[in-house]
Amino acid sequence: MDVTERLPIPPAPPSESALRVRARRAGELTANVLSNPTTLTGLIIILLMISMALLAPWITVPNTPDPTQMPRDWGAIAVPPGSPGHPLGTTNTGGDVLYGVIWGARTSLRLSLIVVSITVTVGVAIGSLAGFLGGRIDEILMRIVDVFLSIPELIFALAIAAVLGPSFRNIILALAVVFWVKYARIMRAQVIHVKQNEYVDAARVIGDAPLRIFGKDILPNSITPVIVQATLDMGNIVLVGATLSFIGLAEAGLAEWGVLVSEGQAGISAGRWWASTFPGMMVFLWALAFNLLGDGLRDVLDPRTETSR
Amino acid sequence: MTSAAVEPTPTAAPAASVIASVRDLRVHFRTKAGIVHAVDGVNFDIRNGETLGLVGETGCGKSVTARSFLQLVPMPPGIPVSGSILFRPRNPCPDCLGEGCSACDRTGRVSSPCPACSGEGCQHCDQTGLETIDLLDLPDQQLRDIRGDRIAMIFQDPGKALNPALSVRDQLGEVFFTHRSAELLDAAGIDPDTQSVTGRMIRRKANMRSRGVENLALAIPPLRDRRVALASAADGMVAAALAETQIPNPMSVMDRFPHELSGGMKQRVMIAQALACNPDLLIADEPTTALDVTVQARIIELISQLQERYRTAVLYISHDLSLVKRVCDRTAVMYAGQIVEVGDSDQIFHDPEHPYTQGLIEAIPSTNRERGRLEAIEGTVPELIEPESACRFAGRCPHTAPVCTTHDPVLEPIGEDRLVACFIHNPPATVPTEQLPRPDGRLL
Repeated sequence: MDVTERLPIPPAPPSESALRVRARRAGELTANVLSNPTTLTGLIIILLMISMALLAPWITVPNTPDPTQMPRDWGAIAVPPGSPGHPLGTTNTGGDVLYGVIWGARTSLRLSLIVVSITVTVGVAIGSLAGFLGGRIDEILMRIVDVFLSIPELIFALAIAAVLGPSFRNIILALAVVFWVKYARIMRAQVIHVKQNEYVDAARVIGDAPLRIFGKDILPNSITPVIVQATLDMGNIVLVGATLSFIGLAEAGLAEWGVLVSEGQAGISAGRWWASTFPGMMVFLWALAFNLLGDGLRDVLDPRTETSR
Repeated sequence: MTSAAVEPTPTAAPAASVIASVRDLRVHFRTKAGIVHAVDGVNFDIRNGETLGLVGETGCGKSVTARSFLQLVPMPPGIPVSGSILFRPRNPCPDCLGEGCSACDRTGRVSSPCPACSGEGCQHCDQTGLETIDLLDLPDQQLRDIRGDRIAMIFQDPGKALNPALSVRDQLGEVFFTHRSAELLDAAGIDPDTQSVTGRMIRRKANMRSRGVENLALAIPPLRDRRVALASAADGMVAAALAETQIPNPMSVMDRFPHELSGGMKQRVMIAQALACNPDLLIADEPTTALDVTVQARIIELISQLQERYRTAVLYISHDLSLVKRVCDRTAVMYAGQIVEVGDSDQIFHDPEHPYTQGLIEAIPSTNRERGRLEAIEGTVPELIEPESACRFAGRCPHTAPVCTTHDPVLEPIGEDRLVACFIHNPPATVPTEQLPRPDGRLL
């Protein structure tokens, strides 16, 4: 008898079922997230914003030389909402507020996606390295992080953007430089925590290599708070970005909410409230929606913050 | 500390039947209070196919000893001081090529002769003449090859030892991808020597070395079929391994996640993972402590059954003496980082020789005893920070004599297959008689 042979091998089920299991889990998770009305509200607002951003060239007539620049209608300066051709009115330089609101969503989406993907990648990489390797490398990396954290976010971003010169590209760059440290911190703490789990020892016991253990056991079990933070930051970054462009660190005339608010600001005292209010509302809604979704995700994904529902 | 402790333990059993020998193992830990001598000169042998119980109180160094087998003790704070763990892996039997014959006791596996002395017995192989590797002195790759394949481990709490993000299928499949990729390729009908681009990719997948881009490519239909074949082959092995643990309905268990399983089922999955590659040595670190009593009995029975079938040696760590008495062939009693008594379980439990063992056995609550006070050993375990040269049990021992506080007792044979480290049984010749404990010193 061949003792290395085991009991009769039952017919293996088709291995697509592994994918089905993942799909089922994802489905359960989604249902869980959506069962919370506030989260659902946030998600709906986000979806509306994103579709508005993606469909901008079709909803409005794009400004032909550069669609990200506000088109100017010199024949209709500072007209109120409801005027023909300008449903949300125009600024005192003849910029169509509706155009700015819609293309501003596109600019904001671009800003937040680029900044979040850069910061999450860099932060997760550095945090993982520090947490997983520990020792002197951890010490060095975390002291660098401390240096970054010692300067307030907004002021730091302001300083960088101001040094680089006023342009939207530089705002993206400045925010990326400022925001990665948070992820590095979260990730490092998570990795150190997860690393101590017995299943990591169990993986070593079956002969897994360190990189494999990191990818299979540590990363999937420590990424959740990063996802939550990234969702919250999708909103935060637009808020900070709008602040910077409001101050004047973006190109003048850019179809961006912060720029638009600052353009309309002078007219508020004269009763022309619309040029600042609509883009301001958009910033508010955007940040609110991502915060609602982020909180909902935290409730579902992070078992430690148990909510009484 | 006397230098005599470095002497290898003489064991009555022929050396050839020993699968692993721990020799003068010392593991210390650096703490704020000082250096803790957690394991301080431990010697014992594990024989082929036996169950060796390692018992002792919490904090006596059982787990550190066990974890040293697979280099699992975190360093730092651990400091590897000295010692070796000599392991003699079994290879497929040359007579029957793993089929199982009388030469290999139907296990299909035998130890190979030592490459250094070809069976003569030399320093390298601890005079056994068998291929011997020191587990404490292994390059990483070789260590990973042994982990999970030749030596496996079961943990105390199965709830913590399974990755919550992996289904049982992926969790168990991992072992086969790590150690059995050749068999997987074979079962999937893929030529292991193929040089085609797709063949190489699938081979890298089987060896778990594929990169992200390759994984994407493996989703394209013609390659995908081969990948699915590979996955099905792994699934077959996983299903077979699960079926062996008598888990109810193994097919549906495969797609579940750890949080969807009961404690007993999780431990069965752990056992399936540990025994997947038919290891030579299984280290069970309190495998039933976290389970309730009814499940405990079944899990223990399962381990014994599978051990019987595959002739796996088991190092069974526990503080549950009644369990060890029932399960283990031999028992080693550990106290404060040292082994104080080793021998046949029946002998140890019926006729304990070391005062500590006597105290431990006294302390087992029994169901047939009348209600009343539970027995306990007086005093507490001594500080293990820079211990003095003395018997560590001297402070709690009812037979303490002057010699016990000035000399360090060494494990020495008394009778057949029995070792005790106590001056009652092995008085040092150089010490005057009035400083020795009474030879008839017995409890009761």
